Amino acid sequence: MAEVDGEFTAFVNERGAALLRVAYALAGNQHAAEDLLQNALAKAYARWPRIRGDAEPYVKRILYHDQVSGWRRRARRPEVPLAELPERPAAGEDSDLRLLLRDALRALPPRQRAVLTLRYLEDLSVEQTAALLGCRTGTVASQSAKALAKLRQLVPGLDERTSRAEVTR
Amino acid sequence: MSTSLDENLRAAVRELADGAGPAPDLAARALGRGRRLRRRRRVATAAAALVAVVAVTLPFLLLRPRPTPPPTTPPTAPPVTVTPSPAMRPTPGADWAGKPLVLPGDWVVTRAQVTGGSGSGVVLDRGRARYFSTDRYDGIFPAPTGSLVAVVQEDRSREVGLVDTATGRTRWYEVGRALSGPAWSPDGRRLLFTTQQLDHFGFIVVGRDGVKKTHPVDMERFLCTDYCFFVWTRDGREVALQQTDPNRPRSESARHPRRGVQLFSADDGRPTRFEPVPGDPAGPWAWSPDGKLVVVQGQQEPLLVETATGRVVNPLPTADVVWVTDDRLLYRRPHGSRDFVLADPSGRELVRQPLPKQLVDLEVTVAPR
Repeated sequence: MAEVDGEFTAFVNERGAALLRVAYALAGNQHAAEDLLQNALAKAYARWPRIRGDAEPYVKRILYHDQVSGWRRRARRPEVPLAELPERPAAGEDSDLRLLLRDALRALPPRQRAVLTLRYLEDLSVEQTAALLGCRTGTVASQSAKALAKLRQLVPGLDERTSRAEVTR
Repeated sequence: MSTSLDENLRAAVRELADGAGPAPDLAARALGRGRRLRRRRRVATAAAALVAVVAVTLPFLLLRPRPTPPPTTPPTAPPVTVTPSPAMRPTPGADWAGKPLVLPGDWVVTRAQVTGGSGSGVVLDRGRARYFSTDRYDGIFPAPTGSLVAVVQEDRSREVGLVDTATGRTRWYEVGRALSGPAWSPDGRRLLFTTQQLDHFGFIVVGRDGVKKTHPVDMERFLCTDYCFFVWTRDGREVALQQTDPNRPRSESARHPRRGVQLFSADDGRPTRFEPVPGDPAGPWAWSPDGKLVVVQGQQEPLLVETATGRVVNPLPTADVVWVTDDRLLYRRPHGSRDFVLADPSGRELVRQPLPKQLVDLEVTVAPR
């Protein structure tokens, strides 16, 4: 038991911060992210003898599945509504635009945010994203497109402020 | 020159992730939660171990069928007596696993497992009139009648297994992606799954022979947000889906407001009718036998409501109830959950039945005797 606790603690100390970033991108706030991650880590701990050596992919799978699979989530936060649209950014300020984008990302439904997190935070390919989420590659593409449409809705002038290359690939 | 949308999006996602602050004692807290999870599993294992001792000649029946032992005398359910204060039944003794646990209203405990599945569990073998244990599956779902037990495993997430406790035979069937847990029809003939597959929301009905029918449901036409899952109706002919009220404000800190439930034919997926009830029925037994009333989880509290009008009759302690007759409800007490109670529709408790201590911390499934 002490050996398991020691291994588990070392794993969390080493990889916890990186995993918390993923959880935060998925959940959108600190409290929900910690809750999501702790739940995934607790499941990992309970199965440690079976998953040791492959713990990080296991925890990430749990993170994404718990966040995306509505019927498994106990937390009742499918998305964060924005009361009003973000204000239009001033011209030439990419950082302001990203700030608006960041707020808009929080307003995406969990599945769309998960797809973007996998694609842009974890740099997974469409195929890898589809494999992790258990869906088809076409679905990943369609969710990306829907996410982008929603971001355009939430961030007026998004296309005027950026070049449109690559996004719909 | 402006940066590409792709680059901005990538940067925004990373900046969002960078918002994660330090989480002090993450390892210690995760360890604590993990230990609690492990302890809960141990409780289940302990309960299962007890069953194994009791049923020492019948270990792991799911895996190794044995000849049917001599019939045991079924327990006699004490008559339900209506008294001003609830009648207390005795806590079952150490040999509880040797016979069906009969609850007030003549229902029985059919399964106990850690909430959310995973780990050891105990299942009622109706043919042998006793409980047995299994630790092979992540979820066990005995049919409300008959000898079949549906089982699921995390590493076979697109399948369901059907174990026949009469023969010990297990068959696995492909169902689909992004599945909810299985829900048996009240007659034990069909299984219902909600599929949350991206862009393919709907329900899947699987027969005991593994034949399945998938019925996509248009979420824009039948708006459901927050917590969405199909449930059987009491007659097993239809399934119901929660319907969000689009005209009322939604907050992420509360349940989304409902305008009712939409029903669909379980045979062909056709939308059939609408019931304007202000909440979510937990399952088929939430409807009264005559269909006039239903217990729902309202936005704020569990409610007993009229099916036809949605009029609230009165609040109840829990939405997870079964109607055993037109005027009696059976449910597990939400506070002090070691007891099941038989109550009238107003929530007045009539009879209490404590659970064996080994089952107190477990999720318990009940079915008609």
